[in-house]
Amino acid sequence: MSMDLTAIPLLSLILWLPVVGALLLFFVRKESTIKLIALATMLLDFVVSLGLLLNWSNTGDMQFVEKLLWIPPLNISYHLGVDGISLFLVLLTTLLGPIVVLYSWHNIKNNLRAFMVLLLVQQTGIVGVFTSLDLILFFIFWEFTLIPMYFLIGRWGGQRRVYAAVKFFLYTMAGSALMLVVILLLYWQTGSFDWIELQQTPLDPTVQTWAFLAFALAFAIKVPLFPFHTWLPDAHVEAPTAGSVILAGVLLKMGIYGFLRFCLPLFPDATLRFAPWIAGLALAGILYGALVALVQKDVKSLVAYSSIAHLGFVMLGVVSLNQQGLAGAVLQSVNHGLSTGALFLMVGMIYDRRHTRLLTEFGGLWKQIPIYSALLLVVVMASVGLPGLNGFVGEFTILVGAFKANRLWAVLGTVGVIFAAWYLLAAVRGMLQGPLDNPANQKLQDLSAREIWVLVPLILLFFLIGLFPNLFLDKINPAVETLLHGMNAAAQISFLP
Amino acid sequence: MAIPLSWYLIVAAALFCIGFYGVLARRNAVAILMGVELMLNAVNINFLAFWRYVRPEEPLGQVFAIFVLAVAAAEAAVGLALIISIYRTRKTINIDNIDLLRG
Amino acid sequence: MNASEIIRWLSPELILLITGFVVLGADLVMRRRDEGRTAAVIALIGLVLALIMALLLAMNNPATIVASTFAVDPYSSFFKVLAIIAVSLVVLSSMDFMKGKSRYLGEYYALLVFVTLAVSIAVSATNLLLVYLGIEFLSITSYILTGFLRNDRRSEEAAIKYFLYGASAGAVMLYGISLVYGATGSTDLVAVGELMKAATGPEHLLGVAAIVLLLGGFGFKASLVPFHQWAPDTYDGAPTPVTAFLATASKAAGFAVAGRVFITAFPQFTPDWMAILGSLAILTMTVGNLTALKQHSVKRMLAYSSIAQAGYIVLGLAAYNPTGGTFTGLNGMLIYLFAYLFTNIGAFFVVLAVERYAGSSEFSTFKGLGKRAPGLALLMTVFMLSLAGIPPTGGFLGKFYVFAAVVEKHFLVLAAIAAVNAIVAAFYYMNVIRLMFFQDSEDETPLQVSSGLNLSLVVSAVMVLAIGILAQPFIAWAVESVQMVNTRGF
Repeated sequence: MSMDLTAIPLLSLILWLPVVGALLLFFVRKESTIKLIALATMLLDFVVSLGLLLNWSNTGDMQFVEKLLWIPPLNISYHLGVDGISLFLVLLTTLLGPIVVLYSWHNIKNNLRAFMVLLLVQQTGIVGVFTSLDLILFFIFWEFTLIPMYFLIGRWGGQRRVYAAVKFFLYTMAGSALMLVVILLLYWQTGSFDWIELQQTPLDPTVQTWAFLAFALAFAIKVPLFPFHTWLPDAHVEAPTAGSVILAGVLLKMGIYGFLRFCLPLFPDATLRFAPWIAGLALAGILYGALVALVQKDVKSLVAYSSIAHLGFVMLGVVSLNQQGLAGAVLQSVNHGLSTGALFLMVGMIYDRRHTRLLTEFGGLWKQIPIYSALLLVVVMASVGLPGLNGFVGEFTILVGAFKANRLWAVLGTVGVIFAAWYLLAAVRGMLQGPLDNPANQKLQDLSAREIWVLVPLILLFFLIGLFPNLFLDKINPAVETLLHGMNAAAQISFLP
Repeated sequence: MAIPLSWYLIVAAALFCIGFYGVLARRNAVAILMGVELMLNAVNINFLAFWRYVRPEEPLGQVFAIFVLAVAAAEAAVGLALIISIYRTRKTINIDNIDLLRG
Repeated sequence: MNASEIIRWLSPELILLITGFVVLGADLVMRRRDEGRTAAVIALIGLVLALIMALLLAMNNPATIVASTFAVDPYSSFFKVLAIIAVSLVVLSSMDFMKGKSRYLGEYYALLVFVTLAVSIAVSATNLLLVYLGIEFLSITSYILTGFLRNDRRSEEAAIKYFLYGASAGAVMLYGISLVYGATGSTDLVAVGELMKAATGPEHLLGVAAIVLLLGGFGFKASLVPFHQWAPDTYDGAPTPVTAFLATASKAAGFAVAGRVFITAFPQFTPDWMAILGSLAILTMTVGNLTALKQHSVKRMLAYSSIAQAGYIVLGLAAYNPTGGTFTGLNGMLIYLFAYLFTNIGAFFVVLAVERYAGSSEFSTFKGLGKRAPGLALLMTVFMLSLAGIPPTGGFLGKFYVFAAVVEKHFLVLAAIAAVNAIVAAFYYMNVIRLMFFQDSEDETPLQVSSGLNLSLVVSAVMVLAIGILAQPFIAWAVESVQMVNTRGF
């Protein structure tokens, strides 16, 4: 059944609903009401975003486009749209929204209102990044997302939260300062800030080189691509669980998305030129992340380093510059958001109970908390890419793409996948199996209904994507095709077979 | 005309430099103020000389010089008042010793 | 032009002049019985009237030059409006702050009105004579305001330093004016511009020397490195409302005069002064930012940040584009100044609120402000983000416009240095936010903010956000304000 939703500015609704909710929060005092309003807003936002699927047409074009002139003399407009590349990232963002609110139901002890307000405006910022088609609008949302996360980490984080927050802020801000200069340079070259118009205007190769480098720096820090990753372990480990989930789940994807949306189509020649270099960094990141994760004692930093490896893998898909590589990168971005989000949630749940995350503290949890253990196993299996679950589909597609682009990349990438499986499985085996000899663990409570509800949607999606990947790939593929053809047409050398 | 314009200008420039040197080198607030006065007088010589040699038909240079005198007097009045007030509280007008604000 | 017409053209200035004297008179009548409240209210009424007149004149009339020295044009009314708004906010915040600090509050408010008059004369002047008089008027009134707290040794020290630097800078500027007069026989900006057109060889050198010397005076007002040494101490020691004025309206007057004089009187020297200003911009940003990093008090940090901000503002002039276009540089400078006005005034007012309670503005006094005064801390966050140039604040729009002009001129190195500087600056601005929200203080008593201060803080924050989000009307106003200077040259 399909409803006609074209008359409604759906994207604006998705974008601004959280802000409305955040404003509402200023008028209520009771903590329970604050939580309810936040959850209701997030759920409503998610439901509204499902409207995108109802009216989706499987083409590679921008859909649900809204365009309003904002600053006429500069031709800056409020220009929104989604295509197959951004669709699932938007949905991922709106899905994780209610989940983190529900997760944070009991464990935010101080200033709950501010926490919820920040989560809500954060969501607006992220959706803005994924839907903006005007470079200035994009930049504004891009910079804006820093502020709520800075507060989330710095106010509600762990021991070294302030250090982590400042580092996070300065790294990402440093990355984007040059991007603004280059956006202005592009305007000077083409007279437009509009993504659609820029895409149709071929740029001089030298301009492309500089523009690519400035954009890539901003995005590489966000992804994070080795060696720009050093902010990530601090930020992930120190952030409150809700913050880590948003960070790993969607904030990092802004970097991947940036490459796909801006670097590739706008600077095709420069992309071709630098693709091998980025592939090298991505491979270095995979191996580095995997190896460092191997020696972590803290489960949360283990997951954080595994993120570096996983995102290196996604980047490998991006620079494969073929249908499978790009589609795999998009799908795997979503997969990583789901599975790493779930991992952080589960780490948070055990931390809430034991106030430690050290691997050595745990063992034999199967016997004490079977529901937790079973769900953790599923989540880890999804993360390592067990066939039938989502991670497998994404990684496999990327590997096919990488193999087509360069066999060595594929081989090294596969080694990375094996490492990934190894370190996570080893860690989880240590936690779940063996004797239940730590007395503190013998009093552990299993998951509450609320906690199970937090995880169920994610786990259902693992299976949905794993078993019916084409439901998703069918929507991603046309957009990737359009992107590749556009690039091929604009590039000086044709690279498509 | 016996004396060329450049002589006036050289005198004015020298006076200006002496005044400026005083401003930079002296530590006594009154002496610095005197340096500033020298600089202003150098400017006045310039104005008058230029008036006489460049455009004697329009008394702009003279007018300017009179304004400078008037403003300098106002400035000196405020400045000396400040210096007296400083002297009352600190018993010094050496600007090296007026150093509450640092960083 | 007959007398009644002249009165009409000069109405904002005349209103300010009369208001100043009425304030003094009212103070005589009240004899300090109400701690300056009447004087403040009269001053505010006068300022608002002057604001209305300035806006009316700008809206309904073509640009005019009165008595061949005084321009009533969009450019000058922009700065008049800016100065009047700044001083009004300063008056609002002073009503509580100055209570009990001085016996001469009538004089204080009268001086604030006169200082507004000084700014409006300086920004309207089209003759170097009036430029000089306007700037000196502004300087002398500022010295008195800075040293107004006679029992406060910091205030008087700030004033004497300001005075000594100011008097010397004024003399240097005057020497520059005398050279211009010698080279052309005129001090009228347009005439000078015409007469200097053919300057070559030694005359060209003379022109460059005059520009450098003039910059001594303008740069002093705008606190550009190396004419900035007075600024940190003066900003730190002056009564905080006066600091807010010095760091915004007084600074803006320096930029306004520099813009008009350089563009109108030295059009053929444009590459020269652009190069000079570009180097000063780099110096100013870098010195300001690096020194701000080392400070221990928020007020002093803001003082250095104001110097650094002057570096960004002057980028607009350094990337001036006489042929017009979207980014003329000059319009960027105006937008930046307008956003910066509200941002910096707001930031200094938060300092004022904290100072009033804690006695100083050391970093430790800002700890835990998020808990003790959530509203105040939230407003300070907006101001800090705006100073750091993060969207969606007015500070971002200003930086964006100025950077755009620089990139359009292909000064990519300059743009890159400015961008790197913005990152350094973000560090110390975020530090304030860190103190307020991420650190706790032992003292958890809530902070009370007076209603006058509250009003000016909220107005500032709303304006900062409005400039950033609405953008268009402010851009249009700035563009309109510079068109005259660009095309007709006065």
